[in-house]
Amino acid sequence: MIVYFRLAIFVVPIGCTVLSCGRNMQQREEKQLDASVESLVTRVAHLKGSLQSFIYKLENEYDRLTWPSVLDNFALLSGQLNTINKLLRNEKTPSYKSLVIIPLLLSPDRDEELAKLTEQRVPVFSHEIVPDHLRTKPDPEVEEQEKQLSAEAARIGPEAAQIQTLNKLCSNLLEKLNNPRDDRDSETSALRQNKPSFNLADTNALVAAVGFGKNLSKCRPPGSVAPGHTGQAMTSAGPTMQQVTIAGAAGHQPGMSGQVTQQQPGQPGKMPSNIKTNIKSASMHPYNR
Amino acid sequence: MEAPPVTVMPVTGGAINMMEYLLQGSVLDQSLESLLHRLRGLCDDMEPESFADHELVYLLRGQQGNPFILRARRSLLKPTSPWHLRYLGQPEVGDKSRHALVRNCVDVAASHSLPDFLNEMGFRMDHEFAAKGHLFRKGQMKIVVSKLSRVHVPGNLENTEPLSLSYLVELSVLAPAGQDTVSEDMKSFAEQLKPLVHLEKIDPKRLM
Repeated sequence: MIVYFRLAIFVVPIGCTVLSCGRNMQQREEKQLDASVESLVTRVAHLKGSLQSFIYKLENEYDRLTWPSVLDNFALLSGQLNTINKLLRNEKTPSYKSLVIIPLLLSPDRDEELAKLTEQRVPVFSHEIVPDHLRTKPDPEVEEQEKQLSAEAARIGPEAAQIQTLNKLCSNLLEKLNNPRDDRDSETSALRQNKPSFNLADTNALVAAVGFGKNLSKCRPPGSVAPGHTGQAMTSAGPTMQQVTIAGAAGHQPGMSGQVTQQQPGQPGKMPSNIKTNIKSASMHPYNR
Repeated sequence: MEAPPVTVMPVTGGAINMMEYLLQGSVLDQSLESLLHRLRGLCDDMEPESFADHELVYLLRGQQGNPFILRARRSLLKPTSPWHLRYLGQPEVGDKSRHALVRNCVDVAASHSLPDFLNEMGFRMDHEFAAKGHLFRKGQMKIVVSKLSRVHVPGNLENTEPLSLSYLVELSVLAPAGQDTVSEDMKSFAEQLKPLVHLEKIDPKRLM
């Protein structure tokens, strides 16, 4: 329903006579009215434009139209209707219900200017078009439907209890989530402190084992140093390493005699150093780990 | 017969110097599951590989001070795979600001006669251990979560005893020398594993 306000608006402000309120207030109201009408007209023009393009699309490109783009168009229309609603609800807009549009002049002749304004849709401002264009009440059928809907809406009232519980649950949850983090943090940090996930002493023991075989040599008795006592491990590491080398050297003696190497006999425990171990790296191999 | 073109000749040592960038940490047994979950989420999406390896560390003592160390590793799950021989150099003490431990690394595959060969060469086995765990990958980075166990009887892997109640977590990258952006990436990945694991540069000499 597109109503044209530009034509012969005769404003009858009810409840505000010229004498009592004074010129200023009337002027202010008029200005407000003008401004709100302007913005309303622009919004309606946008809506009209989008409706036009949508109808064009439906009529001409219906075989290529996809459901998502149809939904997009509907969403656009709904958004624009929303902005119009917001505008009407805006405090600055005067209540249009108190304003009445009265046609001043009706003629069965064709009015060129009107035709231009309305894009040839309303060429004549006559008795036929007035009931349609200047109506203030919806159709009787539409009015019936609206009455039914509002009755049903009122009927759903008793279910408000469910709505209330839902609201309560939501607000509880929101409260818990928005609460200052201190309460939560203290609990979780206490828990976390009780359960550390790594032990620095263990790290050192493991790295030492991989690095140079601490506590791993075959000469050490099994189950020696507990991983928790770093201090003891450190102090006992010194003598044990030496122990290892000495024992290792002693243990190698029997192994040496059976070998066919270039070892100098008579020098037990001494590895021949004249063997140049030159390991060439063939980096072009697939065995990279 | 002509010599093959230079490009197909094998690359002799010194051409590409591979460095291993390493960050180490550990995680207690009870937090292992959460670490594995996190790694499964963070790393490349392949099923995490589990492995069971037996590593032997060989030393060659010369007249000089430091012995030459070689590490020989074989898979217990796949007994027919070749052995893996690795040389790890001393950690580079260049940049204190570098976030990872950097050391020269040379990797070769070897046949099953490797222990005998090393013995013949004069190496002696210093220690051995078994490592069992999981392997994750993220791009260049390799994350190994392993449980180290002590081997009581050399060569006998039936009864092993875990070294500690933790799993060793290692984040390593093999890259040519000179790429320092690698350690930045490693550090940011290590950040994502906190506070479960603290991966850091641990100098083994400090723990001797």
